[in-house]
Amino acid sequence: MAGIVKNIRALSKQTNYLRSFATRSLAVGVNNKINRPQQSLVKSTLFLTSTQPMQSRFYSPEVTKSKPTEQEIKDRVLKVCSSYDKVTADKLKLESHFINDLGLDSLDHVEVIMAIEDEFGFEIPDQDAEKLLRPADIVRYVADKEDIYD
Amino acid sequence: MASFTTGMSSHTRKVQTLYKKAVRSLENWYDRRDVFRYQAVLMRERFDQNKDVKDMRIAKDLIMKGEQELFEKQHWHPKKFPESPGGVAYGREVIPPDWVMDYWHPIEKAQYPEYFARREQRKQEYIKLWEKTHGKPTTTGHH
Repeated sequence: MAGIVKNIRALSKQTNYLRSFATRSLAVGVNNKINRPQQSLVKSTLFLTSTQPMQSRFYSPEVTKSKPTEQEIKDRVLKVCSSYDKVTADKLKLESHFINDLGLDSLDHVEVIMAIEDEFGFEIPDQDAEKLLRPADIVRYVADKEDIYD
Repeated sequence: MASFTTGMSSHTRKVQTLYKKAVRSLENWYDRRDVFRYQAVLMRERFDQNKDVKDMRIAKDLIMKGEQELFEKQHWHPKKFPESPGGVAYGREVIPPDWVMDYWHPIEKAQYPEYFARREQRKQEYIKLWEKTHGKPTTTGHH
């Protein structure tokens, strides 16, 4: 008799275990079924928002700022140099020397370098500025500063 | 400004530096661009008046006077470029120097075998170039 009771107890324990397991899996299934419409709802709202204009500008400009290409730097340097009133624009080339070819004096050269500083937004120390005697040198210097290699 | 000249520099360089600082100082004082340009032209005129001074004693004295005037008329809140010392973005992006790579652990270096092999080769080439241009380093008489 005692043996039968033990067996029944063991069975009931097992069934309890089985039942709990079964209910748990069922509950998971039910949860999935409940969650699925929610997910689809979220997706549909995402879809709705994506048709609206996205945020294009973020806090740090470094994240979105694209590096200028070498051609852009060349154009900007030549634009700055040609806008200086003592430079004759038709004589200006990338390889023309400011002092020998274009006839600027040392203070004019300082003014050109300052205009380049204002254009690209960083400071050029005097030690470097004295070596930047041609527009091509300036292009090279700016490209090095902006980490651009061809 | 940021550039700190050490050692000797020629007279022309000193005048250039003074002129640049003077114009930047004017830029600080006159915020409207047209007014600033007018003042800058006047400043250029003052520099051009003395461009034919041949006597170095007078020229040196003029530079000293100019620096004194610049000091007296300096702005209380000068404009700075963002990346320059004192600017808003100074030191924002720290680029580690190249020699840091030499102190990597060998296990770390082993993860990039090709790069470090080429790096060693480049170092040898650089030493060769150095010895070609400057001569071999002497073992004695450094200090």
